[in-house]
Amino acid sequence: MWLTSKIKQVLLVLKPGVVTLKYPFEPHPVPKNFRGQPVWDHHKCIGCGGCAAHCPARTILVRDLCQDLRVMMYDGSRCTYCGRCADVCPESAITMSEQYELATNDKNDITLSMELFMLTCQRCGRCYNREKTNMIDKMGLKGFRYDNLELRAVIQKATEHFDEKMLEESDRHQRPRKIGE
Amino acid sequence: MLTIEEVKNKLSNRFKSAIIHFDHPLRSRLFVDIDKARVREISNEIVRMGGRYLVSIGYDNIARDKTLGLIHTFSLDRDDLFVCLRSAVPAEDPVLDSITPDIPNAGWSEREYMDLLGMKFTGHPKPKRLILSDDWPEGIYPLRKEVPWNLMPPPAENVAYQLDECPEGCTVVPVGPFHPTLHEPAHFAVFVDGETIKGCDYRGFMVHRGIEKLCQTQVTYNEIPFIAERICGICGSVHATSYSQSVELASGLKISRRAEFIRTIMLEIERVHSHLLWLGVAGHLIGFDTVFMQAWRVRESIMWFSEKLTGNRKTYGMIVVGGVRRDITPELKDELAGVLKTIEKELMTIKNAIIGDTAIHRRTKGVGCITNEEARLWSLVGPVARARGIDIDVRRDHPYAAYDEVQFDVPVLDSCDVWATVVVRILETFESIKIIRQALDKMPDGPIMTEFAEDIQPLRHAISAVEAPRGEVVHYLITGEENRPERWRVRAPTYPNLQGVPLMLLNDQFADLPIIIGSIDPCFSCTDRVVKVDVGSGKAIRLTGRELEQISRAKLNAGR
Repeated sequence: MWLTSKIKQVLLVLKPGVVTLKYPFEPHPVPKNFRGQPVWDHHKCIGCGGCAAHCPARTILVRDLCQDLRVMMYDGSRCTYCGRCADVCPESAITMSEQYELATNDKNDITLSMELFMLTCQRCGRCYNREKTNMIDKMGLKGFRYDNLELRAVIQKATEHFDEKMLEESDRHQRPRKIGE
Repeated sequence: MLTIEEVKNKLSNRFKSAIIHFDHPLRSRLFVDIDKARVREISNEIVRMGGRYLVSIGYDNIARDKTLGLIHTFSLDRDDLFVCLRSAVPAEDPVLDSITPDIPNAGWSEREYMDLLGMKFTGHPKPKRLILSDDWPEGIYPLRKEVPWNLMPPPAENVAYQLDECPEGCTVVPVGPFHPTLHEPAHFAVFVDGETIKGCDYRGFMVHRGIEKLCQTQVTYNEIPFIAERICGICGSVHATSYSQSVELASGLKISRRAEFIRTIMLEIERVHSHLLWLGVAGHLIGFDTVFMQAWRVRESIMWFSEKLTGNRKTYGMIVVGGVRRDITPELKDELAGVLKTIEKELMTIKNAIIGDTAIHRRTKGVGCITNEEARLWSLVGPVARARGIDIDVRRDHPYAAYDEVQFDVPVLDSCDVWATVVVRILETFESIKIIRQALDKMPDGPIMTEFAEDIQPLRHAISAVEAPRGEVVHYLITGEENRPERWRVRAPTYPNLQGVPLMLLNDQFADLPIIIGSIDPCFSCTDRVVKVDVGSGKAIRLTGRELEQISRAKLNAGR
């Protein structure tokens, strides 16, 4: 009984043979719908900030340096590759690429930053939906945002008109410290 | 069979004025507001009616009426009914009767709210710290609304958890926090007499990520499924589905039938791969690495299929509130059928190899025994309970998604040991394959997403349970303002099962400890999900590599 079961197990192992891939030495292709590193197409991006407002991991930051210049930064070090940004983008400017070999010593290797020139709406400064009543939604849609790019921190505030004071304040933003430090 | 009306009548006849209000938004959900003085009696009455304790939910209601709320939830499995007993205590004097003396499984839930909300329970048998780290300052209750989500108290030295008293004549063997057989941090202090285990104390909750607090303060309804999915690395869809269902129930949204079928298929795909993974791990724990290698080889084909369907091997990101994100195309449908065929064939070979192997029989039969009554008392769930003759399965008892349209058996064994859990899991994998086939056949056409017509009303309560590979997952949701939950409570299956482990270990051999702990398929990170905690306390003496080597050599030489 013992011996026959062991012989059977040997056959069980021999039949499939070696299945280990030679991966690092041979490339391993990924399927068509793979969710790899997201890539932005700066030609298509209109700077609406929808991706930043919907990112569950808060890895997309938006900072308005002045009335006409908006910086969008993607920090891949915390990205969960859920692909939500690509889903919500109204202009299909974001695609989930096939790139998955993203291990690195330097955060900047997986950081993407775009500077977008924004136009000013003659009527409202910058357009946003006035019908939204929910504060969180509104925050995402208001014209100007001030995330701190240096600390890669989301500042949960936005203003209707460009506010230099906010810009300065967010420049001095500090991460929460341990009590007593 | 009890109907919702009968339960209501029984409760109001017996307790009269102690029952303040009934609320039943659905035929299968009963919310009862009760007087706090009679919590214990009413809970016992529900258990007498056939109720099985699930979990307690504590929440901060200070801003509204200066109270802390506590909800005990029960499942009446034969009657497809969830009963939730809601009570409230004033925040200045939050004292309640403990239900733990009668329902031992409530012990952790109550200890959790002692830590997180500052509640007090009279008559609790073990009112020790459970969730918070040992150096967390007294008087800061992280789940109260006044405490900010990113609060970081300073670390303290010289504080350590006081383990239970070691029985006389026994020696303490520490297993963990980091141990090769555990894979995740958890500390078991095992009391042994020779080789026999005489007791054990558990100190876990070392990997809190503050998920519940985070989701109640920072993100919105639509983002939570992605965070919920990351509660567990193995059964992610389960949490996302359970959360999404609770939001849909609270808001009254009916999602499309096709989306429900796709959810069912995703859940069953997850069960197949999770059970194969567990089978491999179990083989590895008892030193049978052939099973480990082969089970994981077979599992790989379903992982690759998931990658094709969802874009990722794990953390599928498929399930969102209102439906699913990707559709199953006809080509993928055919491919899935092919994958299932190979898995079924290969799994049959592995099953025969396991059943014919005397070594596995010897290592698992008669190990980790607890009786049916004990398992019932401790409200164990999932394959662990089904291996002890408890016939429960949320898929059949409280049908959700598309489980009402598929036929399947629920394997139940009564040998009450680790061997039974192995067999139950293998049989369940075959059942899962059966379910996926039926779901693929019956799946109707239609949209995969349903949009919300209006905003979700605040302060609605909803409870949703989903059968995960390890047992049943319970999510309780109280909707809030500002597009995010007021309170969201997650109970992973390991939460009740782990409380039963000391009983399973009792009087077993120390060498069987890994497989007994392994037999519940423990997922410590799922269990430890509540509040941000900084770990790292107790005094540590740092040794350099050289010092350690010198001490080791000195000991080695002394032993010679």
